[in-house]
Amino acid sequence: MSEQPAPVLEIESLSAGYGRFDVVRDVALTVGKGEAVALLGPNGAGKTTVLHAIMGLVRQRRGLIRVGGTDVSALPPHRIARGLAAIAPEGRRLFLDQSVEDNLVLGALHLRRDRARVERLLGSVYEIFPVLKAYRHRLSSFLSGGEQQMVAIGRMLMSDPQVMLLDEPSVALSPVAVDIVVKAMLELRRRGASLLLVEQRIDVATRVCDRLYVMTHGEIVDKLTPDMVRSGGMSILNKYLG
Amino acid sequence: MLQFILSGIAIGAIYGLVGMALAISFYVTRIINFAQGQLMMVTVMVTAELASSGFPVWLAAVAGLACSCIVGVLSYLIAVRPILMSNRFSFGWLVSTLGFAVIVENAAAYIWGPTSQAFPPILNKISLPIGDAVLTAQQLLAIATAAILAGGFEVVRRHTLFGKLGMATAADPEMASAIGANTTVVAIVAFAVSAVFAGIAGLLIGPTTFANPYLGDTFGTYGFIAMMIGGGTERPVAAMFGGLLLGICAEGANALINSQASDWFPFLVLVVILIVSPKGLFSASNPLFRPRRPMVAGN
Repeated sequence: MSEQPAPVLEIESLSAGYGRFDVVRDVALTVGKGEAVALLGPNGAGKTTVLHAIMGLVRQRRGLIRVGGTDVSALPPHRIARGLAAIAPEGRRLFLDQSVEDNLVLGALHLRRDRARVERLLGSVYEIFPVLKAYRHRLSSFLSGGEQQMVAIGRMLMSDPQVMLLDEPSVALSPVAVDIVVKAMLELRRRGASLLLVEQRIDVATRVCDRLYVMTHGEIVDKLTPDMVRSGGMSILNKYLG
Repeated sequence: MLQFILSGIAIGAIYGLVGMALAISFYVTRIINFAQGQLMMVTVMVTAELASSGFPVWLAAVAGLACSCIVGVLSYLIAVRPILMSNRFSFGWLVSTLGFAVIVENAAAYIWGPTSQAFPPILNKISLPIGDAVLTAQQLLAIATAAILAGGFEVVRRHTLFGKLGMATAADPEMASAIGANTTVVAIVAFAVSAVFAGIAGLLIGPTTFANPYLGDTFGTYGFIAMMIGGGTERPVAAMFGGLLLGICAEGANALINSQASDWFPFLVLVVILIVSPKGLFSASNPLFRPRRPMVAGN
């Protein structure tokens, strides 16, 4: 692992949860600059909690979370969202009573005084997802599931973050839409983005990512590479994923 | 007939403004500020006090609005935020905002005495005949101001970044914070804006009611009814329509039933409307006003 690029996201001994219980315990992971890393695991393993802890959405978190050298483990979400991390959350969570373009522009909230940069980012989102440009004045609730996922990814891009967190972008989509989302993630990688992808679909994770972490019951139990999975690691994964 | 409709619209505009004030803070924060009527009263009392001690009316009015703005923000910081900090889903604000209202009201009664003070007439002395009805210029001013504020609010909500941010916070506060919104600041601004709406309602009705520390009770209640009839909980501007309807009902009841009927008739209307259309008449989720949404796959 010594040839890894400089880490843009470092997590060490992270414990996080809600109420009196820790959902994840002693998690350590890194995402290098320009790298894509997947977090695999069954339902309830705590994958989403890890993403929410990075974003500051879980109030109860202990341990070290560093994004681009900044310790974010005590920052509120709106500070983390200012160019450090951004999330395309589970279930997309678009602002459904607002237009596609409004959703995207809100993603660039912290850049509101830099109109030229916002326009540039908006241009790059429309480049990756041309269909959104055609629909930009539509209410986002009028879009299909796949198109809504594109808006969620676009909104994440708009804040120009150091690390992008994607929470099951392929869930509940048609095969065609999954393919579009995968190609979009590959395009993001080509543009130098660093991704942390939570997935249940191993095929999606192996197509996009350089490394895979396997998580069960709130702990990271294995680290794999796509090659290891292809050359028979499936049986290892099946052991964890059931 | 024309007379009660016109004066109903005039008083309804006031109810509508207080209703919108309640609806704006509820829309963004999901909190009903039961001290909203008292915020209106603060503007009225401060304006009356300053005007009677010789300041120009416009300056007194601005100072009155500023005061209710401050008290509005305080109501959030003192009565709402500590409760939400300890438990985001607590309904403790039901009691604490009510308590805040009682404190403000009694403080005002202590400072200015429990009786009515003079209020500058502004435009109340000018009468305008319209057909066979008569409105004062003050009533006309109320209608015009309400129309401008309601329209202006919608423009700001839909077309400025801050309005869009308010909508986003209303729809999903957690996601709004994840895109960089400081939801506390958004909530404080919402409370300040709603205090201004209530305060302006106070300036418009002050010349008729005079400055009384218990003014907030009546108008807070009617504002609440306006919000519920209109369905302002989901679309603040709907509270204005609710207020206009309420005003016409109240004045109509006075004119057509007897002079006390406005005390009970609007409540009857409220009950009937809530039975027929629980989300209010003009809310976005009323089937009459709901845009048709195609079914989305995967939802």
